[in-house]
Amino acid sequence: MKISRRPLAATVPSMAMGDIAFNLLIFFVILAKATDDSHLQWEPADSTEVIRAGAAKASIVIDAESKYYLNGQQVGIAQLGPQIEQILEGSAGDDRRVLLKVHRSATANHFEPIIEAVSEAGGTIMHVLEERRNRP
Amino acid sequence: MKVRRTCKLLVEPPSSATGDIAFNLIVFFLVCASIQPDSGRPQEIPRSEENQEQKEEVENIEIALTGNLNAISLNGDTVRTSELGPRLMKLLSTKKRPQDKIVIVKSKIDTPYHHWIDITTEIEKSGGQVTIQREEQQTIQVQ
Repeated sequence: MKISRRPLAATVPSMAMGDIAFNLLIFFVILAKATDDSHLQWEPADSTEVIRAGAAKASIVIDAESKYYLNGQQVGIAQLGPQIEQILEGSAGDDRRVLLKVHRSATANHFEPIIEAVSEAGGTIMHVLEERRNRP
Repeated sequence: MKVRRTCKLLVEPPSSATGDIAFNLIVFFLVCASIQPDSGRPQEIPRSEENQEQKEEVENIEIALTGNLNAISLNGDTVRTSELGPRLMKLLSTKKRPQDKIVIVKSKIDTPYHHWIDITTEIEKSGGQVTIQREEQQTIQVQ
């Protein structure tokens, strides 16, 4: 008499699914962080009239140490103009918007070259500001 | 004699769910972080042009900024920052052509960004078009 072997069920353990999803999420978060500038230290200036900035292809940050960042990557002032032109190439209208995030106490010798570079590249500047609630 | 049976069940959450809980928590915090949109003010600054003829015809308003937050220079006159709006409105009301409404902003190197934003906001509120004029840097070789 032959005894039939009991079939073995080869299934992926469902217990690991949560961990797999968690690790995938961490991977994508780190990947997104590379082009993000949320880790940079800067304090926005305030203004009474602000609107929603919306999305932009280019985001320039001048941080508290007056260093320049284009889309989260540190750049020199000389490289900024050509890089903005490259990013804005073929864009029209609202797509030519460039977010400018300047630390509130940054001085003119740091922010004016940026404004000039963006305007020369044909970009529309969007100063990222905080809404002023109580006027001093 | 009756002995009462004590039934103490150990209630603990299934450990297989901890991964899912962590996943949902992360999604929650990511969504919270991404629903805070940036706010700001758009500004179009004209490109620099070398048009000598036009330069001679137009007499633009000039504003000079320094590190002093309480006063600015308007066409060479020292004006309190709080008085800029009415003064500028008066000057711009006489100008009809768009090219006459251009206000040239010159900033000393120590002008802070928040002050520059305040002044340019006031210019735009008064109907002016902001343009910047930077000091040209020249390298002079001394022989």
